Amino acid sequence: MKLKEWAFLLGIMAIGIITTNLIGFNTPISDSLMGVLILCSIAFIAVCVSKIIPLKLPFIIYCSVLGMLLALPISPIGDFVSEAAGNIEFRAPITMVGALAGIAIGASVREFTKLNWRIIVVALVVMSSTFIASVIIAQVVMNITN
Amino acid sequence: MEYKSIFHRVKKEYKIYISAFLIVILSELIGEFEIDVGPGMLILFPLFYGIIIGVLLGPDLIGFFKSEEVKAASPLVLVAIAPFIVNIGIIAAQDLPLIVSLGPALLFGELGNLFTVIIALPIALFLGLKREAVGATHSINRETNLALITSVYGPDSAELRGTLALYIIGGLFGTIFFGFLASLVASTGLFHPHALAIASGVGAGIMMAAATTSLSHIYPTYADDIFALGGAGDMLTGMTGLYAALFIALPLANKIYQLLEPKIGRKKKSTVKKEETDYEA
Repeated sequence: MKLKEWAFLLGIMAIGIITTNLIGFNTPISDSLMGVLILCSIAFIAVCVSKIIPLKLPFIIYCSVLGMLLALPISPIGDFVSEAAGNIEFRAPITMVGALAGIAIGASVREFTKLNWRIIVVALVVMSSTFIASVIIAQVVMNITN
Repeated sequence: MEYKSIFHRVKKEYKIYISAFLIVILSELIGEFEIDVGPGMLILFPLFYGIIIGVLLGPDLIGFFKSEEVKAASPLVLVAIAPFIVNIGIIAAQDLPLIVSLGPALLFGELGNLFTVIIALPIALFLGLKREAVGATHSINRETNLALITSVYGPDSAELRGTLALYIIGGLFGTIFFGFLASLVASTGLFHPHALAIASGVGAGIMMAAATTSLSHIYPTYADDIFALGGAGDMLTGMTGLYAALFIALPLANKIYQLLEPKIGRKKKSTVKKEETDYEA
């Protein structure tokens, strides 16, 4: 995807986030505006960075690291970034993700109905064991290190 | 998908934008609900409605979206999730001391992903799966794992069929499942909210969002910590997941397969038949 397309699409996502923040959390559009601008700008910078840096890392890692670096107290714009983003509820950006993800997996229903029940059981075990093993290990390590 | 210009993109995709926007409005108007299910709690929020409505409108059910549009929506998910992940990074910055102090728990929590192989692979073999089981149980099987298994075993391999099956099931039900699982495990009262948050970072942003949002409903006073730790866990999995899968999980899965398959594997041929899962992808 070209940078121009990223900018355009991030603009569309921005409208979606502002809408969610308005309907779901009663945040006035004027309050959301700066926060959304910050989030989408950092996402755009992350796209640029991921195109420059030759490391083979998932793109969203750049988003996460950049967001964190820019919001740290040592960052010159740290307070500004944290304060502006503070107006965006945690789950506000995710409703748009859900809508698009739903559309994107729409064609897998027929494939799903062809799957054997055994693989469905295995899928449930895989998902459950990932979470449960992690939580047990994390709890044990927390108890040891206090 | 390559477009000549933004104009061409909009011409092809405007139906997706408008529908997604309307789905967002509808989902937010429905709002949040908490439903008690046994000892756990199913917390319904707009993310889930979006997925359900999107799937219903798809070519296999109502047919409002054509296969072409479904394909075009895939890269848009990545764009949509970017601002969300940035926001988590920003929340994490404010909670950095906590993340650092829980560093060991976060790092070792990653090992949970490897236990998946140890627990799920024997069960898969017992159920009669063959090489599909290696692909299916080596990880939680998201996009990067699809790419990995394709490059290691090839596009026609049994391993990839297992991975694809998990990918489809995870896409359709994984998000809702993790939301419910997190609240169910929380209801045991055995775990600190911090540990539950760390476990939520399974390496798929949308699933992490579901789990952490559910947990934040149960522990409102810990909400910011939960988001920060879930985000950090997810980030770690994102960075290490591919390498852990390639250098640890897959060799481990192959070892277990060699060891256990002759003992507990069923004699008959693989139960996931080729023609049943012969994807055009």
